This record gives sequence, structure tokens and C-alpha cells, in this order.
Amino acid sequence: MKVLDIIHDANSNLWRSKLRSFLTILAIFVGSFTIILNSAINAGVNQFLDKQIENMGGEGYLEMMPKSTYDSISSMLNNNGIIEYTEERDNGETTSYIKDEEVEKAKNLDGVESFYLLSSASADYVTSKRTEKRYRAMMNLVVPGITFDMSNGKAPNTDENADYEIAINEDLAKALGYENIAEIVGEKIQIAVPNTLKCYSTIKRNECQTIIEATVVGTQAPGILSMAGSRANMALWNRINEINTEGLPEGSQHSYQAVANVDPEKKDEIKKQLEEIGLSAMSVEDEAGMFQTFFDAILIVFNIFGAIALVAASIGIINTLFMAVQERTREIGLDKALGMSNSKVFLSFTAEAIMLGFWGSLFGIVVSMIVGGIANKVATETFLSDFPTFQLTIFEPWTMISIALIIMFIAFLAGTLPARRASKKNPIDALRYE
Amino acid sequence: MKSALISTRGLKKIYGKRDSKFEALKGIDLDIHSGESVAIIGKSGSGKSTLMHLLALLDKPTEGSIKLNGKNTSKLKQGKLNRLRNKEFGFVFQSFFMNSNDSVLNNVILPLKIAGIRRSERRRRALEALKTVELEDKAKNKANDLSGGQKQRVCIARALVNNPKIIFADEPTGNLDSATGAKIEELLFSLNRNKGITLIVVTHDEELAMKCDRQIRIADGQIVADGVSGAKHDPKLIEDENLDGMRDKNHTKEIEVEEK
Ligand SMILES: Nc1ncnc2c1ncn2[C@@H]1O[C@H](COP(=O)(O)OP(=O)(O)O)[C@@H](O)[C@H]1O
Ligand SMILES: [Mg+2]
Repeated sequence: MKVLDIIHDANSNLWRSKLRSFLTILAIFVGSFTIILNSAINAGVNQFLDKQIENMGGEGYLEMMPKSTYDSISSMLNNNGIIEYTEERDNGETTSYIKDEEVEKAKNLDGVESFYLLSSASADYVTSKRTEKRYRAMMNLVVPGITFDMSNGKAPNTDENADYEIAINEDLAKALGYENIAEIVGEKIQIAVPNTLKCYSTIKRNECQTIIEATVVGTQAPGILSMAGSRANMALWNRINEINTEGLPEGSQHSYQAVANVDPEKKDEIKKQLEEIGLSAMSVEDEAGMFQTFFDAILIVFNIFGAIALVAASIGIINTLFMAVQERTREIGLDKALGMSNSKVFLSFTAEAIMLGFWGSLFGIVVSMIVGGIANKVATETFLSDFPTFQLTIFEPWTMISIALIIMFIAFLAGTLPARRASKKNPIDALRYE
Repeated sequence: MKSALISTRGLKKIYGKRDSKFEALKGIDLDIHSGESVAIIGKSGSGKSTLMHLLALLDKPTEGSIKLNGKNTSKLKQGKLNRLRNKEFGFVFQSFFMNSNDSVLNNVILPLKIAGIRRSERRRRALEALKTVELEDKAKNKANDLSGGQKQRVCIARALVNNPKIIFADEPTGNLDSATGAKIEELLFSLNRNKGITLIVVTHDEELAMKCDRQIRIADGQIVADGVSGAKHDPKLIEDENLDGMRDKNHTKEIEVEEK
């Protein structure tokens, strides 16, 4: 018997019990649809991240901070951004800056093409009227042109002459005494800002701090891109920087952050060398990588859904084909009496399973492409309107073909059980059976 | 003397084990020659079908040997047995065994499809076989829509589509009224006469049995009589007596039983 005949017969056999086959295909479809759509979203987001990396300075762009600062941020990230402030432990740590000799060494590293120090703003803690407690503050600048996703309120005004505005993390809002997070929008919080010069000459930290007030204009859900830090607007940032550096002679103001442009080929090596010098460097890719990790975790959850659906579908295939074997006992007996080999009988039933997998995958591909297309359109018109070039879903032919092939292989495996039973049938018993 | 086409010695078949053990065949010695038409006759349950299944290599004997063209079949591999049945044997059953939802043509094509023959070729041969049974105009019909007699003619077409050496027919007229049954018998005997196909008919119908060259009577799994009919239907009977040589001439291709 020819392979083409086997495939042809398998397909026409499927339509002998239309409803049963349809339901089995539907189960496979649910799994394949989920997995194919996931992979399309994955491709879309990856392409987006690649574009972002290019927009944000490209592969050679590095952001640096002193290693001690980096470690402190890491420990904050690991504690949801909430660590109670204590004078003993935290003194000085938040004011560590990039030293001249570090700059010199970094500049001379092989592959470093350019190196800039950035002005910075550092605060000791934040507190509110609702709490006695003080929380270590990590300040980020709201860079004009970058949009944020706010869970309450709005993003800080980026105009240099605006009032002092800040956006904070939801967890911090709670810690500051606002159980109902929305209530903090419009409220003022207090920020303790140290003056480097005064702090250098005093042991009592509170004597070198200036308390300033800023209005919380919005909150952000704790998430990957918002991180743990608070986001000050330009006016607040400049004010903090002013307090930090007041009285320092021109040229002796310290920087806490630096950026460099390096040879992308040597980037990993350079990062290692910077680490030895005492500077922690992050590339845009590293930052994207953090997002990627989070995003991958979400995809894994959905892919598990898809996998569970496929397991259920496999049981459906086994069941469907066992019923088919039972119904076609006489037919199998006749085929064998007329000289069909056991292996061909086995093949014809596994072919049926593969056909079920084939149709399930095909519908999965078609429907997920339709859904993905609609999602793309809706997304670019609404929440992704700021990124007109971003496609939420990208369907790569080879990915879809491989997924379909894997699903057909799973279907084949499921089909081997009933197919084995069919191939073991004795033609005599089948022909006597009346 | 020419060796027998099928030759059995001490053929036994035991069904079941221990307490439920049942000896359906109790030692059958039999020689069937090429071109013969043989009736295996006996009451229901006497072991006719069991014997036919063994002769047709559909089942294995518990004891004893079956030689095909002088070659022992017990050592043949399954694949070889399958090919023998597919290419050299034709089957006709009492209850037809057709794929009733399929077309008449596809039912006749089945053995050729199993043999892996090209589409155009098998279609041509199936239509030819349908012509022999005068049903070429029903080729496109659904098998289920045919009358009993037509169904059995389709089965005969299916049995002869691969140009078999032997046709095994198990109660071929058992489900048919006598008029229709007579036509089917006519058809089978004409194949035996005109194409030299060896015919082995299992039946409990005395009348049908007597139309065969030879009657092998079975009771309780044993041969109780084996003889040539005195009431042959065919006026060419006299030729038939020493026909072996002639038959081999127009039926030159022998069944090849290689042991691999
Ligand atoms: N698979 C089987 N298991 C047990 N007994 C069987 C089996 N097949 C046939 N028999 C028994 O063997 C005997 C002969 O059966 P069979 O050859 O079909 O008889 P016939 O065709 O002459 O009516 C019967 O008694 C039947 O019950
Ligand atoms: Mg019988």
C-alpha cells in the first residue's frame, strides 16, 4: 500500500464520524492556537525590544554607576524596593560617587570610545505625614519623551519650570500610609536631600539634610520597567542636584552615573574590567533582559496552558481512535485477509492521528493569525499608539511549521496505542465476528 | 504425477486452552490439484470454515503441515504470507464483507490498493473485473445500495481482480435466494472453467456441492468422504477428468513459494 493512499484514506476515514473527529480536532486546536499565538507575541515583543535597544543608544551603549550603589539597588529590588532607613547602615552609601581615578581607568580601557559623567540627584529618604517611618529613596529622572504606564494619576510634568512633582511605586505609597493608593495622588511627601559638603564635615546626618516637599502626581504598579525607584520631574531633579552640590567648588561636583559608548564586540570584556575598577555597567540589553525574563515567565504560563490542552487533546485522540478501531474491526480483518501487513494497519491508524494533529494545527495557525491580526490593529490604535512601528504579534512561517510538526508528532505518539491494537487484530476473529 | 497445488497432512486445529479446549479439526489429509473445483461440505460447526482458513493461510494449524505447490508454508514469514494471499488468493464470504459506505469500484480496488498498484492501473483492472461480473455500470454506486446478489458479484469481482490462482468461497450463496444463488454459482464455475482458477467452496448446500468436481465431506473435524461427483453439471465433464495437463498450459504461471 502506498503512503499517499494511506494518507488519503486516513483523511476520508476521519470524516466518517464527523462530530467525533471535529471535537478532537477542536481540542488540538485549543492547544495549538495558544502556543502559536504565544510564539507570535514573543516574536513581536522581541522585535520591539531589539528596536528599543537601538533607539536607546544601541549595542555599544553602557550606563555605569559605582558598584556599591548597584549593590544597594539590587538589595532594594530584592526587597520590593522597601527597606527601612537606618542612619548607621545607610550613611554615605547613597552618596558614593564615581571617583576621578575610576574615570581615568575606565576611559583608558581598550574599546571604550567615549565616556561621560552625568549630573545626578540623590536623596536619603522619603516620608509622609501619615507615617513616622522613613524609607530609603531611589530617584530616577523622568526623561522627556518616554511614556509611562501609570496605575493612578498621571506622569510627572517634564517641563523644567513646573512644580516639584514625583511618581512613586504603589508599594511605597502603601508603606507611606496610603492603604488606598489612589488617595496619595495630589498629596505632598517629604524628601530628605543631603548636601555633600555639609555631610562631609558633620557626623549627624540630619544636620546636613534639607527636607523638600514634592507632590505625588501618580503611582506606578510595581513592575519591570518602573522598577523600585521614584520618578522625579526635571524641576525636582534639578532642585535635588542643587542641594546635593551647593557650596562645592566648580569642577569638584561629583557624579554618580556615567555613560559610555564602547565597541560592541568587546562589550562583555569591558563590563568585566569596569567591574574590577569598581563600576557596575549595564547595557540597554541588560535592562531589556530584565523585562525579557519577566515576559518569558508570563509566556511560560500560557505555554503551560497550551501544553495542558495538548495533553487533554492527546487523550481525545487516543479515545477517538480506540472507538474507530472497535467500529472497524471487520474492515481491519478484511484488509488483513486481503494481505495488508500489520505495519500498514498500524500506519493507517497513526496516519489518522497525524491527520487529526494536522487539522488541529492548521486551524490553530489560521485562527491565531486572524486573532493576532485583529489584536495588532486594536493595539496600535489604543495602548500602543505611541509605538506605531510595534507589531504585537509577528507570525514567523518556520516557527508555525515547527509547532505544527511537533503537534503532529504528539498526535502520532497518541495514535500509536490504538494503532497497536488495530495491528494486533486477528483477521479470522474479525471475519467471524457478526 | 503432477504434485498437488495444496497438500495437507495430519492437519489439526485446537481452539482454546485446557478446560475449554476444543479440537475443531482432527487430522486432515488432503490434496487439491490445480484447476479443480472442490466443495467442502458438512453440517454447521463441523469445521469447514476452520479448514478453509487454514488452507487460505489466514490461520496456522495447531499440528500438521500445509504444502503449497510442494513447499511447506509453516516456515513462511508473515510478509510472504500476506503477499501470497494478496496476489494468489481470492476470497468470497457469506456475508460479503464490503466497505458499505465506499463505492463499488473502491471495494473492488481494495486488494490492488493493498498491493500498492498505481491508481490508473488499478482502476482499469477493477473495471475489467466488474465487467466480468456484469456490474461495470454500478462502479460509482455506493456498495450499500446494491442488492444481495449484486453485492456478492462485487465480492467476486474483488476476489478475481488480482488474477488469483485460487478462489476461496465460504458459503457464497448462504445469504441469497436460490435464483440469485444460482447466478453466483454460475459465475464462480465459469471462472473455474474459463480462467482455470482453482475453486474451493465451503458449503452445507448439497446441490451446490454436487456441481463441483469433487466433494470433501466433513463431520466433527474429520473427512468422512472424498469423492468425485457422479452428477456433474458440466457436459465438458469428460475433458475435466484428465484436465490437469491442459490446465497447466493456459495457466502457466505457478504460485511461487520461496522461503526467505
Ligand atoms: N475462535 C474459536 N474459538 C473456539 N472455538 C471455535 C472458534 N472458531 C470456531 N470454533 C468452533 O470450531 C467448530 C468449527 O467451526 P467452523 O469451522 O466455523 O464450522 P463450520 O464453518 O463448519 O460451521 C465449531 O464448533 C466452532 O464453535
Ligand atoms: Mg462456517
